[in-house]
Amino acid sequence: METLGFLIDGFGVALAPHNLMFALLGAFLGTLIGALPGLGPANGVAILIPLAFSLGLPPETALIMLTSVYAGAMYGGRISSILLNIPGDEPAMMTCLDGYPMAQKGKAAEALAISAVASFIGSLVATIGLILLAPLLAKFALTFGPAEYFALFLLAFATLGGITGKNPVKTIVAACIGLMIATIGIDNTGVQRFTFGVLELYEGVDFIIAIVGLFAISELLFFIEARANGGTPKMAVNKLSLSFADIKAILPSSLRGGVLGFIAGVLPGAGASLGSFIGYTLEKKIVGKKGYFGEGDPRGVAGPEAGNNGASSGALVPMLTLGVPGSGTTAVLLALLISLNITPGPLMFTQNADIVWGVIAALLIGNFLLLLLNIPLVGIFVKLLSVPPMYLLPVVTMVAFVGIYSISNTTFDLYFMVAFGAAGYVLRKLEIPLVPVILGLLLGPEMEKNLRHALDIADGDWTVLWNSGLAISLWALAGIGLVLPYIVGPLLRRRMRQTAL
Amino acid sequence: MRLNDRIFGIFLIVLAVAYGWGATQLPVPFGGSGAVGPDTFPLLLAGLLGLSSLYLVVRPDPDNAWPWNRTGIELLIAVVVLVLYAMLLAPLGFIISTALAVGTLCWRMGSRPLRAYLTGLVSGVVVFLLFNFALDLALPLGLLGFWEMG
Repeated sequence: METLGFLIDGFGVALAPHNLMFALLGAFLGTLIGALPGLGPANGVAILIPLAFSLGLPPETALIMLTSVYAGAMYGGRISSILLNIPGDEPAMMTCLDGYPMAQKGKAAEALAISAVASFIGSLVATIGLILLAPLLAKFALTFGPAEYFALFLLAFATLGGITGKNPVKTIVAACIGLMIATIGIDNTGVQRFTFGVLELYEGVDFIIAIVGLFAISELLFFIEARANGGTPKMAVNKLSLSFADIKAILPSSLRGGVLGFIAGVLPGAGASLGSFIGYTLEKKIVGKKGYFGEGDPRGVAGPEAGNNGASSGALVPMLTLGVPGSGTTAVLLALLISLNITPGPLMFTQNADIVWGVIAALLIGNFLLLLLNIPLVGIFVKLLSVPPMYLLPVVTMVAFVGIYSISNTTFDLYFMVAFGAAGYVLRKLEIPLVPVILGLLLGPEMEKNLRHALDIADGDWTVLWNSGLAISLWALAGIGLVLPYIVGPLLRRRMRQTAL
Repeated sequence: MRLNDRIFGIFLIVLAVAYGWGATQLPVPFGGSGAVGPDTFPLLLAGLLGLSSLYLVVRPDPDNAWPWNRTGIELLIAVVVLVLYAMLLAPLGFIISTALAVGTLCWRMGSRPLRAYLTGLVSGVVVFLLFNFALDLALPLGLLGFWEMG
């Protein structure tokens, strides 16, 4: 059991006092970020990256903190779903269906506790899946050559729109924009490209600035536009009365949700929203008429919550082993890896074994911390949730400014960030997805390097790109990934909407 | 109306052509470029972007409405505030510029002015203290620089 040895070493890293402290901080901030409406997990992690960076945290500590934020955000999303019927993030949508009715019946505390337990079980199941699957996948990925990598990156872009995505052409447009921005700067043969002589552009566009601008600033602008006036809704949580039998009753649902969520998370293009959707519909099918779904059935809270937390751990598998993220938030985590000078991909498991396994162990520990945080302290999060967004969003924007400014102390970066924010607003208005833009920025240099490498070896023979069985399969999968949303997408979206109504 | 995608598509086609032309003008790297040069990947992207934007022009999606009303002005104000914030951060110092920027944003988003600027001031002071003393990252003091003298 090689894996077990690595995992024990990983626990050694994750249990070091300062790492544990940052994990706790991350879990707390993450829950908060997930709970606050208008501050999704990708957004929250993006704002915290420059801070982790300018604090000069060691790579494993920075990663441990931000994976805890990531895990925490998935827990936090449920709070406003249950109390307000407003999902904190998209995957938490399904939790509204039975969570809110439970709260209306005066069982808000029970719903929150059950969802915390289900989130915990879902994450735990999926983290075990991650521990078993990731090393195998990493070993397999070691056989990839440059041509296979190029095809793999294409697959990542093709599936990023997701099965529920709308217009695949807009995904391509978004990816092209991101990749084009990535070509700005001096390339690896020393040629200056598209810098227009601007000194600040010689080293290329810093993707952290782009990410924070695209997410945080455009979110502020969107909120101003969508601002729904009106007071802050009052939220009350009753005193918790949960017996062991209640928890036992939701165990099977949570386990099933966790496994399904994990699978949905690993598969490219599926993601957490689909994980929670499948988790919910399966529970409804299995329990059948004995349940009272839609009217506050605890199993209808447990299934989707376990599903979306399982999916978020599952989504780490392709990110850690292949260097290819399957969602916006894992893309942001990838940005962190790259800026810490860690080359993501299969080699990470051998070259940076301590970091990878430290993070995986931190994920396990983080889940225990989150369970502890989320049951007794849920009241605090509920209080913080009632801070009106008109105060919250300007302060969050200010934190983004400070973070970017603290990296380089230049005003140029701040202008750049605001420009990206305004551009992000326009792109969102045009329904051009932002995640492919970011993925293009992140993967562009690596993708070009592999393309040039493959072609150089083959003396400019383009057929080398689809010369191996593996490469052909990846190309085929990419093709399917791009076309499938056209066929399945409308159907699936209709089903999800019907269930949600 | 399906104008948004059409106009954006045309803009992107122009961008793709300009970008592709720019790529052909790139110098050959020292020692020859071998089979693929610095222009190969950009040309590929220009072609792909050109084709997909052509599709957007031919088959556009329905439009989302632009806020051509008071909301639009509020958005413009927000962007201007952010640019000014970036511009004044160093000269005015972090605390003053934050109080002004966060305060204005809160106020424009519907808070009462006094509470808005108070929020700005308090958050500015808290973050400044946190950064300078707990995290050891120096933020500019600007006009308040005389504090350091004492």
